[in-house]
Amino acid sequence: MEGLNRLIRRLGMLLRREQFDRDLHDEMRLHLDLRQQEQIERGLSPEDARFAAQRRFGNPALLREISGDAWGWRGLEHLGQDLRYGARELLRTPGFTAVAVLALALGIGANTAIYSVVNAVLLRPLGYKDANRLVTILNDGTDPVAPANYIDWRDQSRSFEVMGAAEYWSPNLTDSDPSQSNPPEHLYGLQVTQNLLPMLGIDPALGRIFIPGEDRKGSEHEVVLSDRLWARRSNRDPNILGKMITLNGHGYTVIGIMPPEFKFPPFWATRAELWVPLALGDSLHDRDVNTLRVFARVKRDVTLGQARADIATITGRLEREYPGTNRDVVVTPLKENVVGKIETPLLMMLGAVGFILLIACANVAHMLLARISDRQKEIAVRTVLGAGRTRVISQFLTESLLLAALGALAGLLLALWGTKVLVKLSPAYIPRVETVAIDAHVLLFLLGVTLLTAIVFGLAPAMHATAGDLNGALKEGGRGESDSIRRNRLRSFLVASEFALAFMLLIGAGLMIRSFFALQSIDPGFNPHNVLSMIVSVSGTNEAEPGRRAMFYPELMQKVRALPGVRSAGGINHLPLAGDTWGLSFTIEGRPKPRPGESPEAVYRIIMPGYFETMRLPLLRGRTITSNDDARSPGVVIINERAAHEYWPGQDPIGERITFDDDKSNPPTWLTVIGVVKNAKQEDWVSKPYPEVYLAALQNPDFMGYGGSPIAPHMAYLTLVVRADGKATGIASAVKRAVWSFDRNLPISEVLTMDQVVADATAQPRFEMLLFALFGAVALVLAAVGIYGVMNYSVSRRTREIGIRISLGASRAAVLGMVARQGMTQALAGTAVGLASAVLLSQLMRKLLYGVRPTDPITFGGVAIVLGLTALVATSVPARKATRIEPMTALRNE
Amino acid sequence: MSQRDEIPPGTLYMLILKTLARQGEMHGYEIANSIQQISEDVLQVEEGSLYPALQRMLVKGWVKAEWGTTAGNRRARYYHLTPLGRRQLALEVSKYERVAAAIARVLQPA
Repeated sequence: MEGLNRLIRRLGMLLRREQFDRDLHDEMRLHLDLRQQEQIERGLSPEDARFAAQRRFGNPALLREISGDAWGWRGLEHLGQDLRYGARELLRTPGFTAVAVLALALGIGANTAIYSVVNAVLLRPLGYKDANRLVTILNDGTDPVAPANYIDWRDQSRSFEVMGAAEYWSPNLTDSDPSQSNPPEHLYGLQVTQNLLPMLGIDPALGRIFIPGEDRKGSEHEVVLSDRLWARRSNRDPNILGKMITLNGHGYTVIGIMPPEFKFPPFWATRAELWVPLALGDSLHDRDVNTLRVFARVKRDVTLGQARADIATITGRLEREYPGTNRDVVVTPLKENVVGKIETPLLMMLGAVGFILLIACANVAHMLLARISDRQKEIAVRTVLGAGRTRVISQFLTESLLLAALGALAGLLLALWGTKVLVKLSPAYIPRVETVAIDAHVLLFLLGVTLLTAIVFGLAPAMHATAGDLNGALKEGGRGESDSIRRNRLRSFLVASEFALAFMLLIGAGLMIRSFFALQSIDPGFNPHNVLSMIVSVSGTNEAEPGRRAMFYPELMQKVRALPGVRSAGGINHLPLAGDTWGLSFTIEGRPKPRPGESPEAVYRIIMPGYFETMRLPLLRGRTITSNDDARSPGVVIINERAAHEYWPGQDPIGERITFDDDKSNPPTWLTVIGVVKNAKQEDWVSKPYPEVYLAALQNPDFMGYGGSPIAPHMAYLTLVVRADGKATGIASAVKRAVWSFDRNLPISEVLTMDQVVADATAQPRFEMLLFALFGAVALVLAAVGIYGVMNYSVSRRTREIGIRISLGASRAAVLGMVARQGMTQALAGTAVGLASAVLLSQLMRKLLYGVRPTDPITFGGVAIVLGLTALVATSVPARKATRIEPMTALRNE
Repeated sequence: MSQRDEIPPGTLYMLILKTLARQGEMHGYEIANSIQQISEDVLQVEEGSLYPALQRMLVKGWVKAEWGTTAGNRRARYYHLTPLGRRQLALEVSKYERVAAAIARVLQPA
């Protein structure tokens, strides 16, 4: 308490500084006057009395200063002086200040921008209660699992407070409020077990979330909406609770609205904006069809290792009981699934901008060194007048801090702009990127970086400034020679470090560029140019009725083909490179029954005639699927190259028969292999294609609704692919109109050119390459400016020496060689160190690279050449200047 | 002229505190005079050094200061003890007495 009072008193004094000085002055004045009076009364003359009083009193100026010191603000006063002095110095040399601030702003701004992304994406906890205890339990860590497995894990495990499951669901919203003219919309959502939303611990903003029993078959017609959907579809109608909305033709009662910041799931199906109960019902005993993503909350006193062991025991037991159903089940922290793919690239970027800042620091450091050499005399004078070494160093550090603060301010502006651009450019794969902001954490980081920066670039020059030889410095024109040698050494070290750092950054950039070109040259199997795609979904519309699709799809295809500007058109259930793929196991006719879990498997697609032609996916053997392959003709299937190699090695698969039915269907539906097509990209851009089968849509009862059974969600849409004569975007509105000419209520979504689909699939490497290339370029420029500055300075300092050399007969070529050699030695030394470090560091990039080794000789060679040329150009300008030195002028000027 | 001695180091605070305790409110000149008079002119404060000491005591909260007017109608800063200062005085006095007694024992003829 007393400590606080004391602080308050001290602060009070600080605020009334001038009053304080006046009071002290008055008080001492009174004392002196009274003493003088007393002496006069004792008979001294007024003059003598005054002297006596002063003698007894002491030095008032000194005493006032000591009195002021009692309050402990001396450091602050010095800081104030240093700041004023530093600001004057910086204003005196606006050119230097501008260049230094710009370099620092680049470094600090880039660091702040990248850190704000790291902070939002990697560091901030997920927006759920106790999010660090949330895990996923999935096949291979990311793939869905079968319902019966989920039930067994849930019931048999002991490590989890709660375990829930979710299934992707994208229904059509067909009516909503008739008074509003909302068009039908294809939405993204989740079906969730009742316990899933409560597990996340986030309260709804309005209404409630699901209560036990609401995920039972028959009572699952309730829906919780996201804030975004609520705002978009009903304009935040506060009375929406209890109202019905129609999803896929069924009525759902709105029971709750989640808060705006709520997002679930945070990975996979991230566009979900509504949640309905998942009634497992019939699929409870299904161990073969993997549809569910399982989420769980680990008990408070259970470690991740224990939870993993628990699940491993259970899946081991189930695998023995039902072979092939419980392999490779992995418990992963939820956050790891969210940030896993982006963690390494982001950290590498943070490292890269750290290097840029170091280069900027080196640049500013040798600029400061040069200034200090010019201010040698000033420093000597100040030292002679009694300024201590620490006082001089603190003066220089204050100046550095001032520079760093200016750099930080400019850097902050750069970061504000940079994060906006980053977020805009960043592909959708970066989770939570929309939450990137300059918040308190980022500002703290900025402050730390700024202080550190000031010390890094300011300390060495300041130490050097004060280590000098006073006499030498004070002599007219003198320069402590030993000093300048030491300083030159520091300068060479700085230049060499810049080149080493730039080399490493450029290797990073070079590898990313090489890797990106390797990715670009991958053949997707089809030709994406001039192809337009869009999803037409029929759920909840008239076309979903049994029997209607079989007419609608072929008629739609015909109508689209007849449009002007359309070369060909086809359709597929699920476009390649557009999300999850479904794998199904099948049986080959005449082969022995495989062991459980070892049946042939293939990615499963359903196509309308014209798909291969439109995509220009080449048919290698056999024939394609035509409109004659319909419900009345024998079943056909086309397989990809990989399936042919895998399941019919060295044989001709044409004419072979397969079935996707299990033993229970009698007789099974046999499909004859009629053709083999080239491998096409499937789920993502890099993976090698799996075996794949293409079925004829016209023959598929589920897809066409022949059986009259209710429509399954994943069979309720068709992706149109249309090849245009010219640009694919040119035909988009005509194709949409053609769809709506059948039914204005048909939702159309994902209108994308195939070029866009491909670009999205390579968005992450492109984004990373762009950033690394940018960082590399900045590093190169900073390093070039650095070596140019140092060489230029060195030449100007050596004007007299060079003048003497020339007057003594040194040829211009010799002078050129001498200066260039000096510069190149530093650059090459740095490059050598950079090369050695890059060999080690580039190993860290392995995960980011495709088709190029971390020690790729072309990249290393190329970077070495680029840096060498840069150094040569940057050195040659000052070197040429040196050769033009006129000996007489040089000597006279000195 | 009588012999004048510098006050022993470290005792200035104690002397000021004691003087204020005895007299209540005083300004700097009065404090200096009072110390001299009471010590019968033996102890001489280097007068100026009173002021830094008073400032330190203000920071520590041992004394408080208020502006008033002297008999000669001049503005002066009057100092008085705070409860904290009173406690400090007791502390300093007992410490001083301990030390003085010890020194006296050492100096006693054997």
